[in-house]
Amino acid sequence: MTDFKKIEENLKTEAGRLLKEGLVTVVLSYGKGFDENHPMPYAAKTIADVENIVFNQYCNYNMARYLVRYPQGTKIAIAVKAADSRAVIQLIQEEKVKRENLVILGIPVQGMKNPKTGEVIDSKTTCGLYNPVLYDILLGEEVHGQKNALPYEVLAEYEAMDKDARWEFWEKELNKCIRCYACRKACPMCYCDPCFIDQSKPKWADKAPQSPGNMMYHLTRFHHLAGRCIDCGECSRACPVDIPLYLFHKKVAKECEEMFNQKAGMSIEDKPVLVDFRVEDSDKILE
Amino acid sequence: MSFEPKILGIACNWCTYTGADLAGTTRLHYPQNVRVVRVMCSSRINPSFIFRAFQLGADGVLIGGCHPGDCHYNTGNLYARRRLATTKKILEFAGLEPGRLRVEWISASEGNKFAEVVEEFTMQIKNLGPQSKLKIQQ
Repeated sequence: MTDFKKIEENLKTEAGRLLKEGLVTVVLSYGKGFDENHPMPYAAKTIADVENIVFNQYCNYNMARYLVRYPQGTKIAIAVKAADSRAVIQLIQEEKVKRENLVILGIPVQGMKNPKTGEVIDSKTTCGLYNPVLYDILLGEEVHGQKNALPYEVLAEYEAMDKDARWEFWEKELNKCIRCYACRKACPMCYCDPCFIDQSKPKWADKAPQSPGNMMYHLTRFHHLAGRCIDCGECSRACPVDIPLYLFHKKVAKECEEMFNQKAGMSIEDKPVLVDFRVEDSDKILE
Repeated sequence: MSFEPKILGIACNWCTYTGADLAGTTRLHYPQNVRVVRVMCSSRINPSFIFRAFQLGADGVLIGGCHPGDCHYNTGNLYARRRLATTKKILEFAGLEPGRLRVEWISASEGNKFAEVVEEFTMQIKNLGPQSKLKIQQ
């Protein structure tokens, strides 16, 4: 089991050192919330701030979300778990941040929990990895010998459904949407300004929280994240009405992986699959 | 009354649209269910166009582009291929019949193929019946 106290200590030490030496201007990590179960995203800017950093099993926010909020060129240190490190890689691929401006503090972790339900989220809503893919400094011991969680296992039940039943399922789920856009706010890959749904020319969809607009918003969002979603599951945890958005994102990620043989956010050399092509792509994928 | 599907055709300016022209000038008969919109390249097609078409009452969407390798802009249809394949997978997982979206590569000299594809696709949509899932109910 992961030693959360030790990681917290290491995180504080490293954050303090980086800020003291002036290597970074901000450290993105987790801070105290109103209780232990609800830590908050936290940006430490001075050495005094470092005291407020916490790390426990409920720190499942994807801090890569906040990278794009700083102007290009800001030196940032960021604490990442496995899925978050893939988000960082994906952002580097998309040239939203530069590798040389980042100090990545990797946290190998196992047994993260959803504060809402208390269930362990490792394999269900995250990519099934325990160790960060890319890091400069590792803050704990790598998790090894663990049974590999299969990230796409949860999909089987939905793939086996009849298409009408699946439509009913998604219509029911997406009808719940109140269009608070928390999924968009929580997603590290959703950085468009303005988002297509906020545009009025062309007006892609109704803004009222009703079925047609909801469908348009979510289907398009699934498409925009195709081949980019790194499966952190933040969208579904941020959702106030508990829509299992992660299922759809997982499915699209799975299809992209099968069609294009590339997993999102695994190497900074890759290009996102939908802004890339191979001449030898088969027409079979269109069938 | 028999069901006459509404099909949105989105055709690339350089190949499929010219191919459709050829089908017309050679007096080929094909069903009138398809309404063709011309775009400059198949990669111009935003997937939202497709979702929106279904919402506004299309029963099927037929997309035509140049054959891979023959794109007027060299690589446009290669991007489009990946993108539209993803769109299809999304529609499928949402519960829509994937057969309602069809992508065909039709070159400027293939007027025959255009007529055949439209005929075949119209039959297919007729068999699938009206699309009521995504359609906005008035």
